[in-house]
Amino acid sequence: MLQLQRVSQRNASRAVARAARWRTARGYASSSSEPYDAIIIGGGPGGYVAAIKAAQQGLKTACIEKRGALGGTCLNVGCIPSKAMLNNSHMYHQAQHDMKRRGIDIDGVSLNLPVMLKAKDDAVTNLTKGVEHLFRQNKVDYFKGTASFASQNKLTVALNEGGETEIEGKNIIIATGSEVAPFPGGSIEIDEEQIVSSTGVLSLKEVPKKMVVIGGGIIGLEMSSVWSRLGSEVTVVEFLGAIGGAGIDEEISKQFQKSLTKQGLKFKLNTKVLAADKRDGKVYVKTEAAKGGKEEELEADVVLVAVGRRPVTTGLNLDKIGVEVDSKGRIVIDDQFTTSVPHIKCIGDVTFGPMLAHKAEEEGIAAVEYIKSGHGHVNYAAIPSVVYTHPEVAWVGKTEQDLKKEGVQYKVGKFPFAANSRAKTNLDTEGQVKFLAEKETDRILGVHIIGPNAGEMIAEAVLAVEYGASSEDVARTTHAHPTLSEAFKEAAMAAYDKPIHF
Amino acid sequence: MLPTLARSSAQARKPLIHFLGKRQWAAHAEAPHPHPYAPAEIKQSFGEFSSKSRSSTTQAVSSSASKSKSGAQTFEEFWDAPQRLRPHDLQEAEIEAILSGGASNA
Repeated sequence: MLQLQRVSQRNASRAVARAARWRTARGYASSSSEPYDAIIIGGGPGGYVAAIKAAQQGLKTACIEKRGALGGTCLNVGCIPSKAMLNNSHMYHQAQHDMKRRGIDIDGVSLNLPVMLKAKDDAVTNLTKGVEHLFRQNKVDYFKGTASFASQNKLTVALNEGGETEIEGKNIIIATGSEVAPFPGGSIEIDEEQIVSSTGVLSLKEVPKKMVVIGGGIIGLEMSSVWSRLGSEVTVVEFLGAIGGAGIDEEISKQFQKSLTKQGLKFKLNTKVLAADKRDGKVYVKTEAAKGGKEEELEADVVLVAVGRRPVTTGLNLDKIGVEVDSKGRIVIDDQFTTSVPHIKCIGDVTFGPMLAHKAEEEGIAAVEYIKSGHGHVNYAAIPSVVYTHPEVAWVGKTEQDLKKEGVQYKVGKFPFAANSRAKTNLDTEGQVKFLAEKETDRILGVHIIGPNAGEMIAEAVLAVEYGASSEDVARTTHAHPTLSEAFKEAAMAAYDKPIHF
Repeated sequence: MLPTLARSSAQARKPLIHFLGKRQWAAHAEAPHPHPYAPAEIKQSFGEFSSKSRSSTTQAVSSSASKSKSGAQTFEEFWDAPQRLRPHDLQEAEIEAILSGGASNA
C-alpha cells in the first residue's frame, strides 16, 4: 500500500513537472500584438520547412514570400517543373523508340507540347497550394510581399497587394535563396525567348530545331535531355573537361557522357563561350578552346545559359543592420547558421554550401532547433546529389579523386546493372553502382550510381554514410529479390569481398 | 555443445551500425564553430566573426537590458537574454533527478 502511495505521489509530481515543462514551451507563444518568435524571410524549401518546424515547436511564426506562391525556385521554376518535363518527355521518347521491342505497337505518337506544359504547371500549382495549406494547418502567418530590415528586429514588408506593414521578430531566419547568375562579363543577355535561363527553358512555346546549352552541370544536362527527347538537336558547351558538375566521380562522369552521346547529345568540352549574337531569327554562339586558340560559331534557335546561380540579398538592407556578406555575396554564418547578428540566422542557397533544396530543408529544421534548444544537426558529408536524366546519376560522399587528393587508402566495389536480374527484366541495364570504402576499417566513404532509379537508390547510401556503416554492413543486409537494389548490395559485397552475380 | 555455441557467438560479426539509444542533447547549448563550407579566410578569422556577433548581442538586447548595482546584466524578457540563459524543455532524466533529490544520478 505504501509502495502504491509512493508511486501515485511520484506520478502526480511527474505530472506537475510535465505541466511546468509545457508552460515553458508555451512561454514562447504570444498574442498578435507581441513580436513573432520567428520570422522567416523566403518561402522556398528552406524557408517554408523552417516556418512549419518553428510553428510545430510552439513558436509564433511568420513567413514572408515575395513570389506570391510558396515553394521558391524549386517548386515554381526548378526541381519540380523540370522533373515533370523529364518524366513526360521520357515517356514520349519511350513511346517513340522503346515500346516496339517490348511488344507494344503504338501508331501515330505525336507531341502535344501545350498539354505537356500544362501538366507541368498543374503539378507546380498543386504543390505550392499544398504548402499554403500546411501553413494554415500549422498556423504560420503568411505575408505575400518583399521584406527589408528596418532594424535588427523589425522588418518592413512591401505587400504584393499594395501598401506596407512592419513586423517584429525575436528571431529572424533569412532564406531568400538564389537566382540565375548572368553570363560572366555580361556579354550574353537573357531574353527568356531565344536566350533563356533555367526558368525560360521550362516554358518554350515550341521545340527548337537546334539548341545550344551553355554549361554541362546538372541543370544543363537535365534540360538538354528534355528537349533532345522532344526532337531538338542539342549541343552542350562546357568550359571544364567533364560533365555533371561539382562532386561527380570522374569514372561515372565519363560513362554518363557516353550514355548521353548515344542518345544524340553533342558535347564540346574544354570550350569557352565568348558571345551569343542574335541574327535573322537565330542565335550564333561564338566559342573558343578553353586554353585559347580555335574559334567556332554554333547556330541555334534557342540558347540555354546554365552557368550557375547566385545568392539573393538585394533589398534586405543587410549593411544597415550589420549582417556580414562574403565576396561572393553569400551571408556569412557559423555552423549554427548564426550571422554576425546573433538572433538572425541564415539557411539555404543564400549562404555557404551546395545550392540544393534538400540541403536547405535540413538547415531550416536545424536552424529552428538551434533557436529552440541550442542544438541541431546537419551532416554535410551525407548530402546526396541527383541528376534526373535517363539513366539517372546519383552520388553521396567522396569521389575517387577526393580520396586520392586526401591520401586516403580505399577499396572500390562495383556492380553493373547488366548483371542485375530486375534491370534485365526491365530491359534497362545501363550503368553501375560503385562503392568507395576505407581500406582499413571498411567504412563507406562514397557511393556513386549511374543507372535506373539511381535517385531513389542513393537514399540507402546516404543512410549508410550517416550511420557510419561499413560496406559489409550493407552487404549482409537482405535486399528483396528481384530488385534493382540488389545491385547496390552486390556492389557493397564487391567492396569488402566478392559479388555473387558478377 | 555449450562451449562451442559460446565460441561461435563470440566470433559473431559486429556491424559498425548499432543502436545508440534515444538521442539526448546536452543540457548546455553547443558552442559555435566555423561553418564546414565557409571559405578558408572566413574560417581563419572566425574569432573575429564571433566577437562581432557577441558585441552585436549586447547592442541587440541593450534596449531592454539593464545593469544592476552589482554590474550584472538583467533582462525584462527571457528572449532578450543570451541563448544559454533561456528556458529549455526539461529532459526526462532532469525531471527524474529533481524528483529524486539527485538520487537518480547516483
